[in-house]
Amino acid sequence: MLTDPVTFDELATLMKGRAGLSVDPQAMADRPDTPFEQFGLDSLGLLGIVAELENRYGHSIGNEPELCKTPGDFLDLVNDQLTAGA
Amino acid sequence: MSSVEQQPAQRRVVVTGMGVVAPGGVGTDAFWKAVQQGTVSLGPVSREGCTHLPLRVAGEVRGFDPAGLIEDRYLVQTDRFTHFAMAAAELALADAQLTADPNAPFGIGVVTAAGSGGGEFGQGELQRLWGKGPHFVGPYQSIAWFYAASTGQISIRGAFQGPCGVLANDEAGGLDIFAHAARTIRHGTDAVVAGATEAPLAPYSVVCQLGYPELSLASDPQRAYLPFTDEACGFSPAEGGAMFVVEEEGAARRRGARIRAVVAGHAATFTGTDGWENSRHGLARAIQGALDDAGCTADQVDVVFADALGVPAADQAEALAIADALGPHAVGVPVTAPKTGFGRAYSAASALDVAAAVLALEHGVVPPTPNITEVRHDLDLVTGHARRVPLRTALVLSRGLMGCNAALVLRRDTDERP
Repeated sequence: MLTDPVTFDELATLMKGRAGLSVDPQAMADRPDTPFEQFGLDSLGLLGIVAELENRYGHSIGNEPELCKTPGDFLDLVNDQLTAGA
Repeated sequence: MSSVEQQPAQRRVVVTGMGVVAPGGVGTDAFWKAVQQGTVSLGPVSREGCTHLPLRVAGEVRGFDPAGLIEDRYLVQTDRFTHFAMAAAELALADAQLTADPNAPFGIGVVTAAGSGGGEFGQGELQRLWGKGPHFVGPYQSIAWFYAASTGQISIRGAFQGPCGVLANDEAGGLDIFAHAARTIRHGTDAVVAGATEAPLAPYSVVCQLGYPELSLASDPQRAYLPFTDEACGFSPAEGGAMFVVEEEGAARRRGARIRAVVAGHAATFTGTDGWENSRHGLARAIQGALDDAGCTADQVDVVFADALGVPAADQAEALAIADALGPHAVGVPVTAPKTGFGRAYSAASALDVAAAVLALEHGVVPPTPNITEVRHDLDLVTGHARRVPLRTALVLSRGLMGCNAALVLRRDTDERP
């Protein structure tokens, strides 16, 4: 199965749906090293986003993404895992 | 509180802010209007998943939208009982004009009482667990169902890093939080955000309550909850609650806060679950203890906010407890139970009674006990219409289904010291 990479747009949608945060995807794309903390996302919120992605794509993306501190690191890792598992 | 009786004058505890979310309305103005007029907010149970259950009548908070007061990121991770608590706390803090001081982060604490935690949120996650699998349970389940959730979220949102606590202490917890806050303040904290909210009107929670023999299953909102009458057939449950800002008097005066009432005395007892007649002695002891703590004589009590369970043996025990503790004054003091209009919100029932008592003291008005006409006990129960009388001291009573009893004495602020 080929998997399209998860984008900043999708991450923003997940942050809204799972953690109630309104985040501008362009702001994340422009400065991907801004810590999640500055967007108001805590560790439980990130855990919920990981679970949502795993349920959506049907396989585990490991324990590392939930430890990521920034949107850039998170998407790099998630997309690596999804490609590896495809 | 008896261990600090030697020095109550040094750190007197006062109420400077109130926030209410009740079936009769959101905010103290709407609540007081409904309470003073004796409006009946009890109605048919309409919450999703509850309408086929044997509970027919409850006090639902309708049209409540927490989004205007609380950010989404707190709402997605919390149950309805915490939405009520955060909204009521926001209203209370605005009323008190109090915010955290970044230079004194430990100056404000939080204490709430909770009888059942976040049942609705928990049910949703458990349905995902058994319907779809463990991987579909959201991580916020770990905190949202918990009794302490409201205290934690209020503390995080307001940056209140002072002493925090939760009392999972039966209905009486809504009065016991005032004793807890007072003790925290006497130990040096300037202010405590204190109160209780409940959201027991969701399917799982309602099913749990069906096991209470005291629950009224009557279907007429005007007749389902009739304490102190021959027709008493149990209580109607309610949701909502009240939060307060409780402060050390000196700190409150220094910052120019409006002092809405003085928390004068409290006592609690426990009489178990072997029959409501046992609560007579325990409630009388709690009343006596609270009056002693307040340095108040029985004849100084101007109004009693009754527990009013609506079970004949419990009503009888309460009437006798008031007589035991207040002596000859018991037959003449106005007694009221506004909750017959909107129901009994477990630990939040007594917190709502405190809000009603503070408003009664401020207005010099004893609100009526809705739906009640013929009283079978030797009590001056205020029925029909509100009664205008000078009020300085209010006594609020609470008993829990699991045997806790508590009494709280509130006084109007005056320059004279007790």
